[in-house]
Amino acid sequence: MKRFSIPPPVAALILAIVLFLLSGFLPNSYGSDVKVALSQATNILRLSVFLGVIAAGQTLVIISGFEGIDLSAGSIVTLTAILTYVMVKGENNMVLLAIFVSLVVGAFIGLLNGAGITFLKISPFVMTLGMSGVVTGAIIILNHGNVSGKVAPIMTRLIARPISPRIPIPGAIVIWLIFGVLMWLLLERTTFGKNLFAIGVNRVTAKLSGVNVTGMNLATYSLAGLLAGFGGFLLVGNTGVVLIQLGQPFLFPSIAAVAVGGTLLSGGKGSYWGSMAGAIVLTLITSLLTTMQMPDSVRRMVLGGTLLILISIYGRQQALRQ
Amino acid sequence: MAKSLSARNIVKHYGGVVALSDGNLDVHTGEVVALIGANGSGKSTMSKVINGVVVLDAGQLLLDDKPVNFSSPQAAKNMGIATVFQELSLIPQMTVAENIWLTREPMTGFGTVNRSAIKEKTEQLLSLFRGTYKTELRPDDTVGSLPPDEKQLIEILKAISFNPWMVILDEATASLDSRQVERLFELIGDWKGTDKAIVFISHRMEEIFRIADKYSVLRNGKTVGAGDMKDINDKELVKLMIEKESVFSFSRADSKNDKKDKPICLEVKDLQTDSLHGVSFSVHEGELVGIGGLRGQGQRDLLLSLFGDIPYSGVISIFGNAIKLRHPRDAMKRGLALIPGDRAREGLLYIRSILENLILPSWAQYGFPLRIGKAKKDAEQAGASLNLKMAGLAEPVSSLSGGNAQKVVLGKWLMRRPRLLLLDDPTKGVDVGTKAEFYTLLTRLCSEGKTILFYSSTDEELVGMCDRVLVLYDGIIRTELSGASLTKENLIAASLGASNEGAV
Repeated sequence: MKRFSIPPPVAALILAIVLFLLSGFLPNSYGSDVKVALSQATNILRLSVFLGVIAAGQTLVIISGFEGIDLSAGSIVTLTAILTYVMVKGENNMVLLAIFVSLVVGAFIGLLNGAGITFLKISPFVMTLGMSGVVTGAIIILNHGNVSGKVAPIMTRLIARPISPRIPIPGAIVIWLIFGVLMWLLLERTTFGKNLFAIGVNRVTAKLSGVNVTGMNLATYSLAGLLAGFGGFLLVGNTGVVLIQLGQPFLFPSIAAVAVGGTLLSGGKGSYWGSMAGAIVLTLITSLLTTMQMPDSVRRMVLGGTLLILISIYGRQQALRQ
Repeated sequence: MAKSLSARNIVKHYGGVVALSDGNLDVHTGEVVALIGANGSGKSTMSKVINGVVVLDAGQLLLDDKPVNFSSPQAAKNMGIATVFQELSLIPQMTVAENIWLTREPMTGFGTVNRSAIKEKTEQLLSLFRGTYKTELRPDDTVGSLPPDEKQLIEILKAISFNPWMVILDEATASLDSRQVERLFELIGDWKGTDKAIVFISHRMEEIFRIADKYSVLRNGKTVGAGDMKDINDKELVKLMIEKESVFSFSRADSKNDKKDKPICLEVKDLQTDSLHGVSFSVHEGELVGIGGLRGQGQRDLLLSLFGDIPYSGVISIFGNAIKLRHPRDAMKRGLALIPGDRAREGLLYIRSILENLILPSWAQYGFPLRIGKAKKDAEQAGASLNLKMAGLAEPVSSLSGGNAQKVVLGKWLMRRPRLLLLDDPTKGVDVGTKAEFYTLLTRLCSEGKTILFYSSTDEELVGMCDRVLVLYDGIIRTELSGASLTKENLIAASLGASNEGAV
């Protein structure tokens, strides 16, 4: 009973592969055509990237514990996507500035979240939910509902197209892999990462061991905002168009991806690899159900059910916790 | 109507720990019995047995000479035994009236709570202490907003609202001011006259001698003496409380006189916090200085403020430099380390690995990207030097025994090579073998020139190991014991605030 422990990220990844292979038997799927299967897999991975990047900030705030969560991630994504779209106006030489602005705006909103949570003692749930409303409102005011702009060709080239005609892997996937390595470095090979896990487990111990808990909290929420901002930039590079509801549909899946990846929602334990695997599982299930032409209601039920089953399995493995 | 309660040969174990091995107590209406004993002697367990909070393992309770069995606190209450708890049992979000009448609310004919009756009855109770409240205390006030002393008063009122014949006051005076204590003592006088019995548990000698008619002394779970207060003095009481021989033998650091020539490592002037009221002392390099006194006299605040964890006023100088400590990091930079009193809540990250626990205060030294290999090597070394028994550095700390977990806490600080170690009761919940290792280690650290400030709730440790002991009482250093005056007898006497005679 005790020693059946596959790490959650691996479990999620295995689940994704099994589901994908099984989907070959579906009526209008790839069947026995390997080439179609590969391109379908690539496509699902490409779609996972955006959820995966948005889930990165979520991973950090959830690890930081103390009921950490970022409900403003979706609205930040929308905001920075629109900012990028409006600023770039189809010009390649504006892209770097747009990235910079996206990151700074995201980080600033995150900093406000962190300040409210740390100094005003507002719970993360309420603070970030409120912030989400404020940001969404600001987007509507800024644009009066219509936006004019255009994505730069270089963004489409780097994000949405394959890296070269010979290698049919979209740039987004490469960016995501590099991003994943950087996230691993941040969590496992920096003092910031070690202190993040520490405050997630026990803030009293952390403080008495010299960790600046206040500073860590501010930094974590700022970083989460920055990563959501980056997510918005990537997303608009892929879609090429913006809408008011661009980021919001990613919000709850981003939390679900973190949970599916085995990160403890109470904080102090988890990994970004897990969230990446979680993002793939969720994207895969959604696109499979779409392929099967399931109505939206069924898709929601299957997704919700999968989440519950996975997390209850992890819950059993966590019996060591107390 | 005269009633009585007797406890005979009470035995109570908690797991393998014997809390009471032969507890006896006789209480009759119209008298105040003081239940006395050192830390961990079984006073609290005794009071919990007679009010039904814990079920005894062996022995007999007699109510009016007839055997009784209290299976729950409710059963004891129904027999007219009420307790004023030391740890407050009030619900902060509810009002004074709601707390006092909780589960016994007077009802109207419609089955709803009769609010006006509650209010009236509460006013009556509150009037008992009228004039000693710091706030305009009303039945509708929320308990959470009251100062600690008024919460304690509400606790007392709640207990007597049952109209019991017997009241157990477990350290009920600890958070009261002198006027409130006076008033309580007047009330106790009245209660005696109206055929109530009072069991009075207190650490304050002068209170015991003022109010009690009889005494009963516990030592190591055994009742070792009982009688009339008028036949005994405070010296004799202290003697009763002290065990003759100690289980441990300690090796003190040799030649302790030359430490006075060493530079001053730590100097504290007029340190004040919520529970410290002006503490001044200095410690020389290489000294092992103990902090004694009963639990909760400000020891914790003293160590936490020295480590920069809580706000304080006063001057702290380390090696001659006055510094303002705002965060534990400030203290760590000066070479301080704190082994906190609550290992699980303050010292460890339970679900994280032993490695991460050991290196937590030191990660910044490992650069970017963190040199994990070096960290592992250092952690292995620290573990080996402390004889830490573990399956591997990657295992979570939750897999370790209490003693080994405490070694991890110690190890994480020793890795930083601190100059001044602050220890908050480091041997609590640690097995005997590990305790012995700790004693050897502390003595060795001192001989290597490290300075140690050491609070312990075990008096033998302070007497056996320390060069000097500062005894805290009510947030001030009441007495300093050293050399020939550092005996267990003097330490306990000073802890109880009995007299200043032990002082040098």
